[in-house]
Amino acid sequence: MKFLLVFSILFLVYGCSDQDAGETTPESESINPRVGLIDEAGFQNLVADREGKILLINVWATWCIPCREEFPELVKIANEYHQQNVNVVGISADFPDEIESKVEPFLKSQNAGFKNYVENFEDDEAFINSVNPEWSGALPATFVYDRDGVLRQSHFGQNDLDGFRKMIEQVRQADVE
Amino acid sequence: MSLKYLPRLFAVSIIVLSFNLANCSDVEKSNNLRIKDFTLQDYNGNKFSLSDFKDSTGIVVMFIATQCPVSNAYNERMVALYDDYQPKGFAFVGINSNKQESVEEIKEHSQKHNFEFPVLKDWNNVIADQFEASVTPEIYVLNSNFDLLYHGRIDNSRRESDVKSQDLRAALNEILARKPVSSTETKAFGCTIKRVSK
Repeated sequence: MKFLLVFSILFLVYGCSDQDAGETTPESESINPRVGLIDEAGFQNLVADREGKILLINVWATWCIPCREEFPELVKIANEYHQQNVNVVGISADFPDEIESKVEPFLKSQNAGFKNYVENFEDDEAFINSVNPEWSGALPATFVYDRDGVLRQSHFGQNDLDGFRKMIEQVRQADVE
Repeated sequence: MSLKYLPRLFAVSIIVLSFNLANCSDVEKSNNLRIKDFTLQDYNGNKFSLSDFKDSTGIVVMFIATQCPVSNAYNERMVALYDDYQPKGFAFVGINSNKQESVEEIKEHSQKHNFEFPVLKDWNNVIADQFEASVTPEIYVLNSNFDLLYHGRIDNSRRESDVKSQDLRAALNEILARKPVSSTETKAFGCTIKRVSK
């Protein structure tokens, strides 16, 4: 009986922790980021498939200095909102063949456990216009979608912790209203 | 004046008005951005004004950087553009507005990459603000009145081997042929210009 109880507890604690292979736990001790590619269709699916959660997308690149500077704040936001129905997703503008050499090592160094992709659109302009036609393409850029997948907030340029929080909270507030 | 001349006067007014409207509209302009003349120095202290290039077929203004990998991916392509279009009457001007990139750094970078066009230092990003430039590399092509003819990217890929659309070359070719630029606005993609706090 004791064995059954211990097994049940262990199952409850660990058995359900990796239901979605694509969504790693931000606060896990050993971050092993697996970065996928995202194209136009994948991006539309990402935005549409909300499951009642707000979505914050940050577009960044390893070669972008302000992106690297703001990234620790992004990691904090992902950890802070992980249990609060907010998905944080990064989309890197590095090349697909730089995932192993640049993108994943950078994410590991940042202890970034949230989902990240590398954009694989037809070209950069197609990517920019899909995300937000009003965006010039300057990195970094952050976009927040509401629970219905509607783009509600855009921030062009480097952001900070308070800025990220405000974007999320404003979308939350609008969702409540 | 007799009332009998009124219809004739009305007709003449319409013709004059139509003529003026036709002269005011310039099919070559891409938008209403009108750049004012400015003067900046290159890395040797030589002064360059936009008005120095007024007799050119067009003025190609390129916001570039020394440290940005995207801008640097275009170094050879910018040299090739200069080599191909400067002899056809286009003026090329590089502008560095990044606060963290020094004049010495710009000089070293320009010499290393064989830039024959002037690269001007835009202190406090005043000129980047005037152009509303966001990234490097970002291109503006102006006519002799400093009207904007083309704005955006050099081509559609940071990797030269993947280029499918030579947008800047297409625009320059149309200007050379005295045709309206068919694609006046594309999206430049690159490193954000590091501005001073104002």
